[in-house]
Amino acid sequence: MHVAMQNLSFFENIKLYVGFTDASSAALRELHPIALPFFQPIVDDFYAAIEDHPGASQAITGGQAQIARLKQTLVRWMDKMLLGPHDEEYYELRARIGRMHVRIALPQQYMFTAMDRIRVRLLDVVRTQIADDSGKVERIATAVNQILDLELAIMLETYREDLEAKHRNNERLATIGQFAASIGHELRNPLGVVESSLYLLRQHLKAEAEAPSVKKHLDRIGSEVVRANKTIHDLLDLARNRPPQKRSTSLHQLVESAAEAALLPAAVTLHVSVPADLTLLIDPDQIRQVLANLFTNAAQALKGRGQIWVEAEPIPGGGARLRVRDDGPGISAEDRGRVFEALFTTKAKGSGLGLALCRRIIEAHGGTIEIEPRSDGASFLIAFAGGEPA
Amino acid sequence: MSSVLVVDDNQDLAENIAEILGLRGFATTIAASAEEALPKALPEGPALLVTDFRLPGINGAELVRQVRQSRRDVRAIVISAYTDDRTIAAARDAGADFLPKPVDFGALSRILDAA
Repeated sequence: MHVAMQNLSFFENIKLYVGFTDASSAALRELHPIALPFFQPIVDDFYAAIEDHPGASQAITGGQAQIARLKQTLVRWMDKMLLGPHDEEYYELRARIGRMHVRIALPQQYMFTAMDRIRVRLLDVVRTQIADDSGKVERIATAVNQILDLELAIMLETYREDLEAKHRNNERLATIGQFAASIGHELRNPLGVVESSLYLLRQHLKAEAEAPSVKKHLDRIGSEVVRANKTIHDLLDLARNRPPQKRSTSLHQLVESAAEAALLPAAVTLHVSVPADLTLLIDPDQIRQVLANLFTNAAQALKGRGQIWVEAEPIPGGGARLRVRDDGPGISAEDRGRVFEALFTTKAKGSGLGLALCRRIIEAHGGTIEIEPRSDGASFLIAFAGGEPA
Repeated sequence: MSSVLVVDDNQDLAENIAEILGLRGFATTIAASAEEALPKALPEGPALLVTDFRLPGINGAELVRQVRQSRRDVRAIVISAYTDDRTIAAARDAGADFLPKPVDFGALSRILDAA
C-alpha cells in the first residue's frame, strides 16, 4: 500500500484518502442540473458574507467590478466542480486558483470557512431538492463532501508549495547576500584599479585614445567595468535588504527619471500614461531602480528597437496599479513562474538579480509584482497597496 | 603646490589615485597602512589625506582622527567599498568626507577643488 501510494500523484493520493471514485464523479454530475438554478443565490450569499467581514474583504481591492468578476468565476468553479472530469487537468486548474489566493494574501482561515459556506448551501440543495429514494441523497451528499474536502486539500497544498518556494528564494537570497558582501567588496578594488588605469591610459594617450582602433577597445573596457560595477551594486543591494524609506512621491516624475537612468536606445519609444497628480507613499530611490530595471529589460528584449508603455491608475481606496509592457517577444509561460527567482536569467549576459531585486523591493513596500500572461510582448503589473495616505 | 597622501593597501590603486591627483597638480606620497602613513603625516605632512577605510591594523577613519588631533587643518577623504551607515558615520565623525569605491574621480576633484 505504502509503495503503491508513492507512485500516485498528489491528486490521486487524496482522492484515494477521501474515497473519491468514478461513482462520486457520476453523483456530482447527477447533481449538476438540480443545483444549477441555485448557483447564483449561493454565489451572492458567498460574497455578501465576505463584504460584511472586515478581515475577509481586505483581500478584495477592486470594488464592485471585481466582485462581479469573482462571482462569475465562482459560478464557473461550481460548474466545473460538479461536471468534472476530476482528472489531473482539473487539479492543475484548481491549483492555479489556490495560488491566486496566496497572491492576494487571503488568510488561510478564510479558505476553510468559505469552503464550508459552499458546503452548507450545496448540501441544503441536495436535501431539499432531491427525493430521498434508496439512498440517493446520501450518495450525492457524500460526493459533495468528498469533492469539497479535495478542493480544500488542493488549496492548502498549493498554499504550502508557494510558501516553501518563497522561503527557498529567501534562503537563496540570504546565501547570495553572504557571498555578495565578501566577494562584491573584494571585486571593487581590482575594478577600481582597472577603472583608474583606464582613466590614466586615456590621459596618457591623449589624441591617440580617439583613434577608432584604440577607442573601440578603451570603450569596451570602460563599459564592461560599468556593467561589472552594476552587478556588484545589485548584489550588495540584495544583500543589504534596506527597508524602504517612504515619502510622498510623484509617480510621473519618478517614471521620467527612471527612463533617464535606464539610458534607453533612441529607437525605443517610451509611452507614458501616468496621471500627473498621482502621488504614492514610496521609497523613490528603490522604486526608480525597479522601473529602470524593467525599462532596461524591455529595451534588451526589444533588441534596441520597439515600444514600451507605462500606464498607471489609482486604485479606489488608496494605492495604485502600474503596468510596464513592451511589444517584444514576451516571456514564455514556462519562464513566467521563475523570472523573479534570484540567479534565474534568460539573458546571455544577465546576472539574474534584476527582477529578484524588483520583487524584493515591491514586497517590502507591501505591494505585488506579477507578469500578465499575454501573447504580444511582456507585461509587468505592479500593485501598490493603499491604506497609507500618500 | 598642494600635497596629498594616498593610503590604500592595494598598491596599484594607491598608485593610480596618486597618479590621477598628480595630473591635477598635486605632489603625492603613498602608504599601504595607517601605521606607515602616520610618520608621513605627523608632525608635518601633506595638506590632504585620501585613505581607504579598511586597512590592515588601524582603519582609515581612526587614521584621520589621529592626524587631525594635532593638525586640525588637514583635509581628509575616506574611500571605501563598504558604504554602510556605520562606515560613513565613522568617516564623518573623524572629520573626513566620504566617497564610495569605485572612486568617482569627478566627485573627488570637486571635493579637492573646494578645499
